[in-house]
Amino acid sequence: MTKYLEYQLKEIKDTYLSYLGPPFNEKDFSPPRPNTTALSLPSAATRLELWRGLENRARLAQNQRAYSVLLAAVRELARSTLCPYLQTSLLHFCTGLDGLLGSISGLMTTLGYALPPPSAVSVGGSDGELQEPRRDGFWILRELQSWLWRSAKDFNRLKKRLRAH
Amino acid sequence: IFYSVISEAEQPAVIINALIFRLCPFLVGRIQYERMGSDVTMQCGSLDNDASVSWKVNGTDIKARHRLEGPRLLLTQVDLGHNGLYSCFQNPHGERRDTINLRIGTAPREPTVTCRSNTYPKGFYCSWHQQHSTYIPTEFEVDVHHNQRALEVQRDPVHKNRCHVRFPEVFSSFPYRVNVTAINDLGRASAAISFEESNIVKPDPPERVVATPIPNNVRRLEVTWNSPSTWPDVDNFPLKYFLRYRPLIRDQWQHVELSDSTSHTITDAYAGKEYIIQVAAKDTEIGTWSDWSVAVHATPWIEEPKQITSTTEQHGHTQTETLPNTQLLKYTHEQIHAQCFLLR
Repeated sequence: MTKYLEYQLKEIKDTYLSYLGPPFNEKDFSPPRPNTTALSLPSAATRLELWRGLENRARLAQNQRAYSVLLAAVRELARSTLCPYLQTSLLHFCTGLDGLLGSISGLMTTLGYALPPPSAVSVGGSDGELQEPRRDGFWILRELQSWLWRSAKDFNRLKKRLRAH
Repeated sequence: IFYSVISEAEQPAVIINALIFRLCPFLVGRIQYERMGSDVTMQCGSLDNDASVSWKVNGTDIKARHRLEGPRLLLTQVDLGHNGLYSCFQNPHGERRDTINLRIGTAPREPTVTCRSNTYPKGFYCSWHQQHSTYIPTEFEVDVHHNQRALEVQRDPVHKNRCHVRFPEVFSSFPYRVNVTAINDLGRASAAISFEESNIVKPDPPERVVATPIPNNVRRLEVTWNSPSTWPDVDNFPLKYFLRYRPLIRDQWQHVELSDSTSHTITDAYAGKEYIIQVAAKDTEIGTWSDWSVAVHATPWIEEPKQITSTTEQHGHTQTETLPNTQLLKYTHEQIHAQCFLLR
């Protein structure tokens, strides 16, 4: 699932970056990351030892939380996009993300882990809107990319640990 | 005579240096670096402007075009041929007053930098080199930044142009920025590269590739290998593999991609033909394929040819029809089939 989404995301990201235009579509461009009050994104990055030591429950919970936030973020991105083609692609991508989120939640329930209460998940400011859509859009997709890559490794680790028990 | 401000700790070293300078100045000639193509002035010690001196280079007369101006030697448009130990002698008694080791060179140009991680997720290394020689000693300074933080850089103990950095975190969305500055006496030049964690991952090739024939199977070869020993955590960061094989007599490779397995059985080998086999590795999610492993050669199992010779049965009366003085070799149906296929 993550591989399929990764592939889809790459296509969307390229389209989105050309939609944003320069300098976003330039190679190696990296805009400053908004601070956490302006845009709160779950970071896939973690210290290696911490990642290795994650318990199954925590590992799944982190993934579940991340995709909940990112799904809301991509939905908001789709809403604020003026280009119809891009909007359709982003919304289609959201159904895929939703599916992934459903699988994770399902797995957590099967393993007997409590799901976090569905809180109002919002990435943007107090009104839920993205403060700087272009820069924020860049980082939402960027972080999503990292999460999909990380999740593949998370699920592989989970698979090995669950098999061992 | 040296005059300089020195600390008490430095005193013995400086005094010894001064002694050596007096006794064997040619050993401790001060170095003067000059730009290629420029005009150079060499000053004889601290003599007055009206002093009269003569010069020698490497103990012989100066053949290159030059001019003398009091205690100074002037050379024009210098090149590498001007390199040497220049000594000046005060007239009329000819005491040696100074020795200068003239070294012609150029300022550094932007180095070429590349980085790679073959020990993911532990760390990465960067290498750099100069496209053009500067002809004079050149040092390098490296700094690495990630997410607005400077990372600790370890210089390689063996390779002068290499350094090692540990990844501060994994699955990062922030790029890394590596800046290398080349510095010598005539100037400095920098080059910087930027990359993401996932783009520089390239494992070393798989190790201990072994291909063995399988008894009673003329078309099979069993291939096994190990993950590269430099890859630190193959459990949490598994590798996938790419195997390629071809008979020696053919140019076209056959390919097989394998996930998380370090063995494979080739089932479509041509009977009796020697094969060449190689394996490459890649992280299952990110980065690029490794170089190909060392090539191994193997031939599928061949049935031992049976000899049919002329015999006369001792006990029985049967006489096998034989061709005298010849030996017939028995091939299996499959082997003959394979030969015809190849010939075609």
